[in-house]
Amino acid sequence: MGGVRIPSARGAFRVWQRNAMIFRKYWKSILAPNFIDPLLYLGALGLGLGAFIREGGINGQTYLQYIAPGLLASNAMWAASFESTFNTFVKLKIDRIYDAITTTPVNAEDVVAGEYLWAGTRSALYGTAFLAVLTMLGFVFTPENPLVSSPWALLLPPVLLIIGVMFSVMGTLFTSLIQRIDLYAYYFTLVITPLFLFSGIFFPVEGFPAPVPQIAWLNPLYHAVNLCRELASGPSPGVLADAAWILVFTASLSLLPVQLMRKRLVS
Amino acid sequence: MNDGMNHKAGEVTTLTARDLRKSYDDFQAVRGVDFEVYRGECFGFLGPNGAGKTTTMKMIYGAAIPTSGELEVTGLDVKRHERAVKRRIGVVPQENNLDEDLKVRENLLVYGRYFDLPKKIVAQRAEELLEFVQLSEKAEAKVEQLSGGMKRRLLVARALINDPDLVVLDEPTTGLDPQARHLVWDKLRELTSEGKTLILTTHYMDEAAQLCDRLCIMEGGGIISEGAPRDLISEHVSAEVLELRATPETLEKLASIVEDVADNTDRVGDALLVYASDADAVMEKIREWSVEVDNILRRRATLEDVFLKLTGRRLVD
Repeated sequence: MGGVRIPSARGAFRVWQRNAMIFRKYWKSILAPNFIDPLLYLGALGLGLGAFIREGGINGQTYLQYIAPGLLASNAMWAASFESTFNTFVKLKIDRIYDAITTTPVNAEDVVAGEYLWAGTRSALYGTAFLAVLTMLGFVFTPENPLVSSPWALLLPPVLLIIGVMFSVMGTLFTSLIQRIDLYAYYFTLVITPLFLFSGIFFPVEGFPAPVPQIAWLNPLYHAVNLCRELASGPSPGVLADAAWILVFTASLSLLPVQLMRKRLVS
Repeated sequence: MNDGMNHKAGEVTTLTARDLRKSYDDFQAVRGVDFEVYRGECFGFLGPNGAGKTTTMKMIYGAAIPTSGELEVTGLDVKRHERAVKRRIGVVPQENNLDEDLKVRENLLVYGRYFDLPKKIVAQRAEELLEFVQLSEKAEAKVEQLSGGMKRRLLVARALINDPDLVVLDEPTTGLDPQARHLVWDKLRELTSEGKTLILTTHYMDEAAQLCDRLCIMEGGGIISEGAPRDLISEHVSAEVLELRATPETLEKLASIVEDVADNTDRVGDALLVYASDADAVMEKIREWSVEVDNILRRRATLEDVFLKLTGRRLVD
């Protein structure tokens, strides 16, 4: 009763383990969409639109180089968002998996933390695979302008994990507030898609007049894109601000869905 | 004063509730119930839908937090020792919530992991439990391939994976066909004979009579009667019941004829139930008046008679 509930690491790990076990069975069959989607953007916009902005590129990068790392960040966002919305909703309300788990020593708050970690893990797994593909494509097709050129890119997997956790916190917050699964249409069209389009993946938002850059600063994906882009090509000290933004935002929001989900599972 | 060893008649309590209450906004689901469950017994909660049975169960396994009153499981307060209490109980929920993404055996293995039990012990128990609920040959099957009865048995097995001190069963056989019900009953009886403590909710009187050492009848969030099935019957209704079937006019006439030899009568649909300690006297009386009765069924009073007498015959929901 009362007070803020803090998850236990052990309980969260048990939930993570359950998801990982199921993922190991099905990963091959669900892997493809996670690749095809960013590759479509890369092909359509990177090659298609990129053909028109070949001269000078953006900030000294070719258009392909510019958008590829941003797609890594958005890929993590999409993966974590699906995990924390539809998948979590099914476990919460349809299959009632959480009802079963919370009659064991694993508490509702542990379930939520475990789901955060799992969404982050899934983002990192897919992201790393996509990163490998990008690196290879770059070296094979545009060796003079590689898509991933900095050794700092080795930091991308853990960074993608944190980005995944951030979007899992947001998705779980929405999940904890809704009763019907069709309401996710609002979340994706009014939150996730705008974040995706105005995050600086496809064009730099800094050059626009106020308040566009200020609004972009409030977009979690904007910071994730900056971070990934700089790690792929060699970071400037400015990325520390993006990293700090992500950490502070994630940490300060993370306990709210925990309390709200607990209320839904324990009356 | 309480170290979990409340002795009453030399028995150890596994579960103690004192003035236990639960309110949701302005609705009082449980309005001050007291009960004790002793180690090794099967204790039942009977009552119509909405009586507060499931809410009471939920408070035991931590899915609902008591608004006030005390509730202790093996001496541990459910509010202060949430995880420790859940570690000691097994739960068979009213609705199937097996993990459909996992196979039958995996359901037990993953569930055992939530209790932080060593892998080896869980694996061994999983085999034993599959054997116990007769699902060994289904170990590698998908959950969705199981019948309703098999799913319920798997839920029973899952509830036992942590070798609990107390097993909570919320309507364990609702929706099952008679064969499947009897199989579940057999398993539950085996558990009590092994000394496990069970509490169950049901609205099947035959289930309560078959399984429960003691039971309470709930209505409107409170306990209205409590005792062993036999005692409840002798306390609340006469030993024998005559079910008389005839035309409505005849039944009306019969009711007045038997009035002075019956303990009481009750009209149910097309029948007149006559409760009597001396059923022969009633039969004699009917013969004396030579009334045309289509059908007379003479039987012993059951828990169902007690239940209907105490909770009324109106439809609750």
